[in-house]
Formats: sequence, C-alpha cells, structure tokens
Amino acid sequence: MDPFATLGVEPRFDLDPAELERRHRELSRALHPDRHAAEPPAQRRLALSRAIEVNEAYRMLKDPIRRAERVLEARGVPIGEGKEPPASGALLMEMMESRETLADAVRAKDAATVARLGDEMRDRERGLLTKLAAALATVSPETSQQAMVLLGELRYTRRFLDEVSAFEEVLAG
Amino acid sequence: MAYSEKLIEHYENPRNVGTLDKNDDDVGTGLVGAPACGDVMRLQIKVSDEGVIEDAKFKTFGCGSAIASSSLATEWLKGKTIDQADTIKNSMIAEELNLPPVKIHCSVLAEDAIKSAIADYRAKQAAKRAMK
Repeated sequence: MDPFATLGVEPRFDLDPAELERRHRELSRALHPDRHAAEPPAQRRLALSRAIEVNEAYRMLKDPIRRAERVLEARGVPIGEGKEPPASGALLMEMMESRETLADAVRAKDAATVARLGDEMRDRERGLLTKLAAALATVSPETSQQAMVLLGELRYTRRFLDEVSAFEEVLAG
Repeated sequence: MAYSEKLIEHYENPRNVGTLDKNDDDVGTGLVGAPACGDVMRLQIKVSDEGVIEDAKFKTFGCGSAIASSSLATEWLKGKTIDQADTIKNSMIAEELNLPPVKIHCSVLAEDAIKSAIADYRAKQAAKRAMK
C-alpha cells in the first residue's frame, strides 16, 4: 500500500498535519458503512476494506518515523533489516548506558528521575526530527543517507520513550 | 505467530544477565545494535589463562527473540574455548530457538555480539603481549 496515494497527498515529509487530518476525515466519512448500506455486499465490502486502508495510511503518516520511512521508500531507498547503515559505536554505548539508567530508575520506581530522563530524550527526539525534516527537504543520495542515519538514532530514542510511557502507564494504574 | 517453548523459557528466565568488568584484560566485550529496530545488545566473556570461557554475561534491550538469542549464546559460550566459540553461527541459535523468519535478525545480532566480544578479547591480549 502507498499511504500517500491512499490519502491523496504528496509523498513528502513536511506534510501539514491539519491537511492530513482533513483528508482522513473526508475519506472516512465517504467510506462510512452507513453511506453504503443500500449497496450490494461486494460494494459494501470494498468500502469497508478501503476504510481500513485509509485508517492504516493515516496512522502510518502521522508517525514521523514511519512517514520518513515511506518517503524514502517512495524515493527508491531500501528500508529495513540489513539495508540500514550500522549504528555508530558511540551511539550504541550511549544508548546502552541510558537504557540501563532508565531501567534502574524504573526498578526503583523513581518517578521523578524517569520523568526527567523522558524529558531529556524528548528534547533530543525533537532535535533529531528537525534535522530529519531538513535532510528530507532535498532529494539526493547524500540527504537520503543522512536521513537513514537520523532514523536509526530516532528508533533508539523511540524505544527509550516507549519504556518511559510504559512506566508512566503502570504508575497511572 | 507461535514462539517455541525454549524461546519463551529463555525470555522469561534469561540466563547470565549482568556485567563483567570491561577494563579487565581477560574480559572481551561486544556491543552491537540493530538500527532498523532500535535494539542494543552487550555480550561479555571472561577467558581463563588456558583460553577457556569461564563466564559470560549479557544485557539486551530489545524484543523477546533478541533477549532469548543472547541468553542462549551466553549459555553456549561457557566452558568453550575461544576457537570453539568462534564457530557459533546465527543459524544454530535460530534453529535451537525455532525463531520465526522475521526474527532471524535477532540471532544474527547475537552472532555479531559473540564475534565482537572475541575480537575485543583478542585485541586486548595482543596489546598485552606487545607491552611485554
């Protein structure tokens, strides 16, 4: 599935979130089962499967990491296991250390430290996303490569922040 | 997707989780990662004067298959010589844990970690010999 085509938007990273949401709303409304209730079953099924596709495309493009992956794919850059540049040793060391620090704070149920570590990582993620947007603003092998490296780092920050959210959810009960 | 009992067992009761002193000359450390999924794995071996791995520890932040792969790897490493350890292949880990195809890369990560720990140990030993 090409999520850009599904939602009828351009395959670019800096999509306007409001426009994306508007397209999703319009298409969902048009494909709503109530609007197709009078149609033959085959048509109803088609509308339903398209509605599911529209939802999936929307979820995909709303997430900056997955949107960037689809943008690169649309440019013919292979994405996935074994096709990505290896993470630098310095990044791995840093991520191992920060994950251990986070794990210690989670184990100790130290909510203040977890919150602080989460804030720091969110700041970092914001910075990386800004750089990613800049890299994807131009189409060239160099900028695609830069974007891949940034994406690699973003997946580490994402994993970290997933842990933070999981802890906060448990805490919130 | 059905995971094998052995995989689940290693995931729920991982063996040899922990840290060895990375500054020890007899300890080799491998730190590897999979940027496509954000996993990071550290595997360490402590080698006796006779060249036998007497202890192995790991720490993995990643999915269940990555944790199980590294746990199994440390179990296999203990008691092996460095040269025997060097022959461990990702396919052996994948087969033992019956990893589904989408998780084969987790066993590749574990093999990379073993290779990189061995390389680190050998580099340290070579440096030590050069000092003498």
